[in-house]
Amino acid sequence: MKRSELLSRILITAGMLLAVGTPLFFWTRTPLIHARMADNGGWNPDVIQAEVGKPLHLRLTSDDVMHGFSVGQMKIDAVDVEPGKVTDVTLSFDKPGIYKFFCTRWCGINHWRMRGTIEVSGPGANPEPAPTIPLYVTLGFDLDAPHESPVIPSNQPSAIRGQQLAANLEISKFSNPDFYRTNSPYQLFEALSSTNLSDLEKWDVVSYIWQSNTTPEALTNGRDLYAQNCAACHGENGGGDGVFADDLAKAGEASMQSMTGATDMLMQTPVDFTDSKRILGAAPALLQGKILRGGMGTGMPMWGSIFTEEQIWDLVAYLYSFQFDYQGEAQ
Amino acid sequence: MAGLAVAFAPLPVQPIRPQERTFQIEARQFAYSPSELNVNPGDTITIRLISTDVVHGLYVDGYDVSVEADPGQTATLTFTATKPGSFRFRCNITCGAMHPFMIGKLTVGANDWLFRSAGLAMVAVLGIVILVKRS
Amino acid sequence: MTKIELTRNTSIKNALISRYPQLAVFVVMLMGYIFAILAGLVGTPVGSHNFSIVFVWIAWWAILILVAVPFFGRGWCAVCPIPLPGEWLQRGAVLNPPDKKPKWFNLRWPKALRNIWLQNISFLLLALFSSVLLTTPNITGIVLAGMLFAAIGLSTVFERRAFCRYLCPVGGFIGLYSQTAPIELRIKDKRVCATCEGKPCYNGSTNGYGCPWDVFPGGLTKNTYCGLCMECLRTCPHDNIAVNMRPFSADLAKPSTRMDEAFKAFIMLGSAMIYAGVLLGPWGVLKDAAYNVGTSTWFIYAAVFLSTIFLVMPSFFALCVTRFENLNIFKKRFAMLSSALIPLGLMFWVAFSLSFVLTNASYILASLSDPLGLGWNLFGTAQTTWQPMLTSILAPGQTLALVGGLIWSSRTAQKAANEAKVSAIPVIGYCLIVTAVMLWLLL
Repeated sequence: MKRSELLSRILITAGMLLAVGTPLFFWTRTPLIHARMADNGGWNPDVIQAEVGKPLHLRLTSDDVMHGFSVGQMKIDAVDVEPGKVTDVTLSFDKPGIYKFFCTRWCGINHWRMRGTIEVSGPGANPEPAPTIPLYVTLGFDLDAPHESPVIPSNQPSAIRGQQLAANLEISKFSNPDFYRTNSPYQLFEALSSTNLSDLEKWDVVSYIWQSNTTPEALTNGRDLYAQNCAACHGENGGGDGVFADDLAKAGEASMQSMTGATDMLMQTPVDFTDSKRILGAAPALLQGKILRGGMGTGMPMWGSIFTEEQIWDLVAYLYSFQFDYQGEAQ
Repeated sequence: MAGLAVAFAPLPVQPIRPQERTFQIEARQFAYSPSELNVNPGDTITIRLISTDVVHGLYVDGYDVSVEADPGQTATLTFTATKPGSFRFRCNITCGAMHPFMIGKLTVGANDWLFRSAGLAMVAVLGIVILVKRS
Repeated sequence: MTKIELTRNTSIKNALISRYPQLAVFVVMLMGYIFAILAGLVGTPVGSHNFSIVFVWIAWWAILILVAVPFFGRGWCAVCPIPLPGEWLQRGAVLNPPDKKPKWFNLRWPKALRNIWLQNISFLLLALFSSVLLTTPNITGIVLAGMLFAAIGLSTVFERRAFCRYLCPVGGFIGLYSQTAPIELRIKDKRVCATCEGKPCYNGSTNGYGCPWDVFPGGLTKNTYCGLCMECLRTCPHDNIAVNMRPFSADLAKPSTRMDEAFKAFIMLGSAMIYAGVLLGPWGVLKDAAYNVGTSTWFIYAAVFLSTIFLVMPSFFALCVTRFENLNIFKKRFAMLSSALIPLGLMFWVAFSLSFVLTNASYILASLSDPLGLGWNLFGTAQTTWQPMLTSILAPGQTLALVGGLIWSSRTAQKAANEAKVSAIPVIGYCLIVTAVMLWLLL
């Protein structure tokens, strides 16, 4: 064949190989962690290996909607994982162990199920100390038993009024964290029956003591944690009416074919934190336990591997602000 | 001549006192609810965007303002409707396949441009019909 | 304005006759096409950040409908890469004809299918699935690959460019709309062809191949089926072929009487209106119906789509043909008058496309630097944020296109009505009504 024909064929072949080969070559060399809504597979891969002391470079992309990335129990800022774009994150680990990474931007009703594991190997300090036993276990609380308060206040208790009232009372034994954590507001209300305060005044004192067991910074932190992690189901105003509440209720109806139908369906609707009967009968340790353990078949996620203990106490303190009027609570 | 008149003649404007209008808009894959808003020129518009499934945004064509909301965190956008006419608002946070077509419509005052265009079309056709009749 | 023969300029003529400039363009186009298939199949599933979606449905589509078709007719067909691998195989060469021709079947395309009905159907198939196709990279990749393999397959069985002429969904409407373009390829002198022996423009010679579009250049009076591939420029021994500039829509002075083309006009007009309502409108329920292929709402959507195009619009149009003598003449009149919908449909597509192109053109810059969504930044533009462009000219542009299209189609209706010996007024009224609906949908 003529030389021009041969050269043209070579040019065409070279061009096509270039068009196919170059991108494929670089594609295989660009390992990415793909984020997808949990219904579509979640994180891929969802298990990552790392070593103590060696920085772990991760390149994350979303295959569908806006996601985020953070690692539980580590002090790092969450990063956004955007659809079609790549986010770079570098992590370093001091201690070996199993770390959980999770999605930080709501991506559907199963957003909280988007979790993965980082297995960090390498020389640890000592063998892992035995994990701390949650308080509710030590106290023997049954997280799933009802905890209704027999008495509820007629109006929203005010911590400021409570503070004024408490000035004349001997309340030091109630102000320590041990009492606060292990008793429900109702139990404190009962403990105040020896005083000659009216019911509402007793609740005011309860609210003051509850507030004194936390700080404005903690409440702000709890508020932010609530907005980012809880409001979508539990409602921005705590009423159990978040944007996913009706979907959860429908899912409950669909899956609950049991004899105890009605009660089981309740399990699926998110808790209403403005329900005084329910919340005032719950001790902080109980709420902490529910947050740690999750809902066992309801839509409530387990946060034990994600939040630090401090974060959970901050969140618990904030939850009571749906019941009590904390003057000076961060706006 | 008639075309120019239709295109550029000022239409009578009923002066309406500007108000503050608040709209609560729910966003889902891939639609807004409500998806059509009507306000008067000069109104101060507050849009409370509630995302009900994934993170969505709301960007207003022509006004170049936007807001984004995560489910569980209502976001607020406030602006003044100084420009009259019809403006589409659309999602500006990629939220899935049909994201580029997640669209709503904001009408400030009357949709003047549509009326003028329709008027122009009719004038044009009238002109042509007259020419046809003459020949 | 009369014709200006562009090929009288020797530089232009030589550039068109030489195979090298054309080959260079072909190689680039084919590389881009194959890259788009690859990007669709292995790149990010997020359409707005994938080369296949951005460069096919935004960049290429914008250039096609805003520039190539209105100003160059079938100009895209002249550079399209889809037929190339099959054609090179079929011809046994990439440049001039080889000494030994390969033995393929070279069958004639079946007579019953020698029309654009298959193209009408293939376009409608894409249209019904368009919400998924336009937004999902791997579907786009599969469709692009499918068209490439179909073209290759057909080239090994049938003669010439069977895919392009009879199957390509894009070619169907490009052909119809090319009648409005200001460019044409025609013979210079009929008498020269009459005495020409062998007709190498159709049968091929040592200098080139017979028309791949199965057109006899000597008989070309309209642009509809000529793909501007320039083979006849190379094979004509009498230098009797010219590429001319001419007035817009010159071909519509002789309106076609074919029903397949008439229905193509309705398909394009109707789908532009439906797209405007479903994709650019504020009605979420329509978008759900269009996207959720296979559900009962999608079937309803498909049924409404098809009945609008095949029943509603043509029936109302038929009422505008105000004389009835017998069915045959009626059909001819119907087809001739429907040529008025050609410039209107083109302008409908221009107005519709302006909206989503201006809104999303910013993705083009980002996609240039990161075509597969892998975090690359080849040209530094990967972080370009989404920002609608030139929004202030959108509404005026759409009005100009639609009202301009209305005027254009009314003039076309006038000429067609003259030929068909009926009044043009009802057709003009029809055009006014659909234009008003389109204005309402877009503005």
